[in-house]
Amino acid sequence: MRFRFGVEGDLTAPSEDRLTVGDPRMADFLARLARRLLAPAVARRHPELGSLGYFLRPAELKRSVERMTARRDALVFPRGNVFHLPPANVDTIFVYSWAISALAGNHNVVRISSRSAGAAEVILDALNETEADPVIGQTQRMVTYGHDDAITAELSRWCDLRVIWGGDHAVDTIRKQPLRPSARDLTFPDRTSWAVLSVPGWRAADPAARRNAVVGFANDAYWFDQAACSSPRTVFLVGGGADSGEVRAEFLDLLLDVVDQRGWVVDPAMAVEKRVNAYGLAATGAATALDFPDNRITAVTLAGTGQAPRRWIGAGAFPFAEVDSLLDLVPAMNRQDQTVSHFGFTPAELRAFAVELGGRGVDRIVPFGSALTFGAVWDGYDLPSEFTRLTTLQA
Amino acid sequence: MSVFSLSQADREKRLLPQLVDLVSHHRRHCVRYDRILTAAGVGSFSDISALPWLPVRLFKTLELKSIPDDEVFKVLTSSGTTGEVSRIYLDKAAAATQTRQLGATLQTVLGPQRLPMLIVDTKSILKDRRSFSARGAGVLGMATFGRDHMWALDEDVDGLRSFLVKHGDQPFLIFGFTYLVWLHLYEIAREHGLDLGNGILIHSGGWKKLVDQAVSPEEFRNRLAAVGLTRIHNFYGMVEQIGTIFLEGPTGGSLYCPDFADVVVRDPETWAELPPGKPGLLEVVSTLPTSYPGHVLLTEDLGVVHGVDDGDWPGKRFSVLGRLPRAEARGCSDTYRSAA
Repeated sequence: MRFRFGVEGDLTAPSEDRLTVGDPRMADFLARLARRLLAPAVARRHPELGSLGYFLRPAELKRSVERMTARRDALVFPRGNVFHLPPANVDTIFVYSWAISALAGNHNVVRISSRSAGAAEVILDALNETEADPVIGQTQRMVTYGHDDAITAELSRWCDLRVIWGGDHAVDTIRKQPLRPSARDLTFPDRTSWAVLSVPGWRAADPAARRNAVVGFANDAYWFDQAACSSPRTVFLVGGGADSGEVRAEFLDLLLDVVDQRGWVVDPAMAVEKRVNAYGLAATGAATALDFPDNRITAVTLAGTGQAPRRWIGAGAFPFAEVDSLLDLVPAMNRQDQTVSHFGFTPAELRAFAVELGGRGVDRIVPFGSALTFGAVWDGYDLPSEFTRLTTLQA
Repeated sequence: MSVFSLSQADREKRLLPQLVDLVSHHRRHCVRYDRILTAAGVGSFSDISALPWLPVRLFKTLELKSIPDDEVFKVLTSSGTTGEVSRIYLDKAAAATQTRQLGATLQTVLGPQRLPMLIVDTKSILKDRRSFSARGAGVLGMATFGRDHMWALDEDVDGLRSFLVKHGDQPFLIFGFTYLVWLHLYEIAREHGLDLGNGILIHSGGWKKLVDQAVSPEEFRNRLAAVGLTRIHNFYGMVEQIGTIFLEGPTGGSLYCPDFADVVVRDPETWAELPPGKPGLLEVVSTLPTSYPGHVLLTEDLGVVHGVDDGDWPGKRFSVLGRLPRAEARGCSDTYRSAA
């Protein structure tokens, strides 16, 4: 067991140290951490830490605390002990879920994957270098341990809330360890995300707006190798009819240009991976055409909206399908679908789409460029409320 | 009769029309292959490097065959690094051709007779059903080219001595995985002064374990020469082209293509063919696969062509440099894989 943050010692021992909801000691700590992450040198090297720092800045934290404490029908308290199992490969997720939980005043234990690297290491350094009230070290612990079921079991019995990221397999595996009867899981299973592009909206946009849209889309898609749960996979071209092909071609040209400028590269194994998956889609009839304009972009023409793949098929692999209206997409969406990022639609069109979905699928509808922006409402959960508990009082 | 006889120009002249026919044959008989080629929009094939290739891993994710179910005679499987398994479907004719051509290739260095055979492995690998498909199948396949088999890893030094007393004054065949030959046969032979001078060693299985011990192919060859073993042939092959092996020439250092096969090295960035001297992804080409579309396969191995028509045998002379490192996917999944 390697302690990465917090005071070393028995993780499940009872503690007298208590934080409150929105505890000023924690708010101060997070604000100082944010300043470190937003330092120009750090943000330049790891742009994703810029978004994280932004999320942790005081104004944002204040809003979260207000959301936790705004209610009049109940007193709001920390949920208690929270055990976090964040994903190994998205270096910043562990901070988001931990920070909201910490701000809610919980005792937290975060299991940091031994495979964590890069940005995660920078964050851990920043955490340890940030001056903290002793109570924070006593109540907030981050540890790395191997695949030790005994430790996971003990922490599972200890916690009031267990937060499991990392997809269906992780959820199923960790759920083999029982919780206390009063405890529960907050799970983040496998998700799929999409992009929708209005062809008339694209036509109406000027060249600068088109280019901005593609820059945003490129960040959404390439930042985490298109493998974050909110990264767009299939692109649906909406309402274009005969114009769709031309818009798609222009979109791909711009995308290639942006990818070039960013200097993003796709390694050979990923390029092969994309071929394997694209050929697989063609072989089974799900795709009718494959284009490989460049190693970093694979464009796949789907046979229909129902054929859009729900599993990851590689970085820079974009299936395309055409529909007449956003509402035509509704039957193809399901519970697994998380983020729809959009360009060129009116607010009314987007609202009608959301209403028609009726919560049966899609948790977030956001503009191109915001797909990876973490929010306190995630996967359909209001996290500040998940991390707190309510006491009602009738005098 | 050697199967290492064709110059590169003659090889291409002979293979290209056969391969073009195979492309049409598989398009007619394997609808999935046809759909892939249609979707990818392939054109005409003016030379071997222009032929449409399939990533070899596709055989792990997809059933691809060009024969009806009731003509499937044998299904070959391989264990993969990620637990995925390739499935290769052979009909009777294809199975016979594969065996015949593998035999013809080996006869180039073994001669026409079945030789007494020392297998550098343990018989128990044939009992373990899990490893059977990979290492066991290789051993089993090769065992048919020898006689009076002895399993070296099941024997102590006296067992090996008695094999050599009985067969050591005539040519005999030694087969095993490269690192087992090194760790067991070589060590024992050196320690006990065994004379392997009439042995012909056929070995394969990658160099990774030896590279970890800092043993280069050259050193492997030199050290074995010290125990008398000078006829050494490494080979490169895979279950997806089971009858086609690329064999190391007598003087060592390079692999050669049999007359029914060829290799292409591709730039993994542009996918264009690379000239000799430039390492890239290795593509293996063979006219043997008739029952499944495995005639042009892009491997996940890196290789380099050293020269053309300038070695022990005619055609391309190349080396395998190791596996392409697997892409490490980022993303939200895969947090917590149980060790079990």
